[in-house]
Amino acid sequence: MVKKINSKTKKTVKKKPDKKVAVKKNTSVKKKAVKRRKSTLAAKLPERAGETRIEVKNNPAKPKVAIVSLTSCEGCQFVLLDLGQRFLDLAGQMELVDFRLLEDEEDAGGGLDLVLVEGNPVTEENVKTLMDARQRAKILVAMGNCAAMGGVPEIKNYQEGANTIKHVYKYLQGISNPEIKEIGNLVKVDFTFPGCPIDGEEFLKYIPELLAGRVPVIPDTPVCVECRKLGNRCLLLDKKPCFGPMILGGCNAVCPSSAMMCQGCRGLRPTGNTKAMRAALKNMMTDEEFENITEIYGLRDDLEEREGK
Amino acid sequence: MLLKINHIAKMEGHAGFMASVLEGDVKAAKLEIQEGIRLIEGVLVGRHYKDMPVVAQRICGICPVVHNLTAIKSLESVMGVAVTPETEKLRTVMEYAQIIHSHALHLFFLSLADFLDIDNDIKLVKKYPKETQAAIRIREFGMEIVKTIGGRVVHPLTSEVGGFKKAPDAGAMRKLVIDSKEILRTALELGEFFKKIKIPEFYRETEYVSLQKNGEYAIYDGDIVSNRGLHIPVEKFENNFHELQRQQEVVKRIEHNGESYMVGAIARINNNRNKLKPAAFAYLADLKWKFPYYNPFGNILAQMTEVIHSIESSTQLMKELLNSDLNEVVTKNYEVKEGLGAAAVEAPRGTLYYHVDVDAKGYIKNVNIITPTAQFLSNLEDDIMEYIPNIIKLSDKEREKKLRAFIRAYDPCISCAVH
Repeated sequence: MVKKINSKTKKTVKKKPDKKVAVKKNTSVKKKAVKRRKSTLAAKLPERAGETRIEVKNNPAKPKVAIVSLTSCEGCQFVLLDLGQRFLDLAGQMELVDFRLLEDEEDAGGGLDLVLVEGNPVTEENVKTLMDARQRAKILVAMGNCAAMGGVPEIKNYQEGANTIKHVYKYLQGISNPEIKEIGNLVKVDFTFPGCPIDGEEFLKYIPELLAGRVPVIPDTPVCVECRKLGNRCLLLDKKPCFGPMILGGCNAVCPSSAMMCQGCRGLRPTGNTKAMRAALKNMMTDEEFENITEIYGLRDDLEEREGK
Repeated sequence: MLLKINHIAKMEGHAGFMASVLEGDVKAAKLEIQEGIRLIEGVLVGRHYKDMPVVAQRICGICPVVHNLTAIKSLESVMGVAVTPETEKLRTVMEYAQIIHSHALHLFFLSLADFLDIDNDIKLVKKYPKETQAAIRIREFGMEIVKTIGGRVVHPLTSEVGGFKKAPDAGAMRKLVIDSKEILRTALELGEFFKKIKIPEFYRETEYVSLQKNGEYAIYDGDIVSNRGLHIPVEKFENNFHELQRQQEVVKRIEHNGESYMVGAIARINNNRNKLKPAAFAYLADLKWKFPYYNPFGNILAQMTEVIHSIESSTQLMKELLNSDLNEVVTKNYEVKEGLGAAAVEAPRGTLYYHVDVDAKGYIKNVNIITPTAQFLSNLEDDIMEYIPNIIKLSDKEREKKLRAFIRAYDPCISCAVH
């Protein structure tokens, strides 16, 4: 087993971006503008056979929205696409920019009302894209666990750090291998759609407010509330570990409903009691197992921060 | 002359393209990968084996099922875990469903506009509303199967080493079987539409590699075969196929006997077409292809054939499962053992291969993941080298359009290729 790096040295500290640095970077971004795609996707697709109801709206007053994909599996974008008709209906209410999955055309630039960012800033290009997005956006949203908490790539921060690459590549020169940072370390994040991947229903619930220029707040309830509502038998009662009590609900308890423990991809809820959680899990898993699982979705650094370590 | 595309949209992940042509001679053609590294193989080292399917499936948001299943199978091969026939069937249904929704996305929304010379999907859906509905419904059928079995479409939850955490709901599965009739009819109608598309004439001989199995169209299991007579067990994959990293490149390319080769729908159709289900077999026969079929643009028709086959096969398997005890899929106790294991499953884009080394306590010592796009990347570039002279006289804009179309016809997944 790989020796863990001391938690103090590896920790990614969340901090507000230094405004001076951000501004400076942004000006350099301008010169070498990142090529962007323009979406003209504003059509409604018919849902069922026989119902031809395609309209192409072209209302210039519609909010301008960009979906920006950094290094990731793009699963959060697929959650949106998989909403099918409902996503396309929603897309009809906005001017979508940079939805590369459907469009080839280039974006003319300019201000954006809303930017949704998925993935990790790994390459220099990713960082530029993110900075550029922040500069253009009124509201910037972290979409999913990678952007919000570091995601599975953050596991390397807890293990061998920069040396993790040696398991994968022989020639390291020219490959960007930074410490994984949540986008909140580089830019101000106004709202987060949590989860790995995000939850499509939750997206539909909060997006109207964001489109109206307001920042919603996800209620501080644990995963357990929805889990109980669904009539699931509590995993903890069967002495099976589950992070549900300390994790922010809103996912409709999708994991416990599939008999999978909550591993915390949505992050700690504001009043989540981590110490009580650790105590409750004492008889079900070792401290090491607990730490290991908190690493999968980048929860470990947040826990340490919460517990003042 | 330098041909350059900064960014190719409508495919999974980030890549551009560059080629240099000197006095009509194509000197180089290269897909420029712009994806960052996530080091999934690296982060798995030192982790508990149970984390592996969970972490590895996050390589790809469109084909998580196949990463999850291949990871599970490779671990089962380490520990000698035998699963029930019901589990194997349910996994196969999941993989077929994955193929249905991934292919439906690619052949209609990502690639079709290129073949019809339509600028974007807005114009496409406006001009072909009925076909758009068909593609959406087929895609939703595939997604619904994954959700019913896995609990969620992107990054499913129930499958694990030994079987499933939970059996799927029989009622939901019964409904899918009922729906399948109409979906098959919809797919055949969409198939008729695709038959009329003009496939550009371009042929280059290459080696087609896929799984193969006696008595069935190999998806979940089989040996590695090729149209050039290769036939090896999966465990021997890395003895025959060599992964190499060029300096400064984040995708490790794979070669067979020092040459490029092709995987995916077109490779499977070339190698296993006689095992297609009746409607798919008839559809393919009607295309009147001469085999081996060497036109990479044909990939979308190969995908269409596989969509039909996958609907037929998954329906049959679901019917069989409904006539057996579904609870047989629930994981039973097994022993954690150390050792080496390997597995391969047919992903939408081709054979996905995993190799894993586990210690006695169940912690991972080493992992190697070889994805379909990493395997066909060199073949794509070799094809383009030969294709460029055919389009060199076109205007810059037209030429760029043709190049984008060619690359997209391959259905590359750059997120998978880099992982």
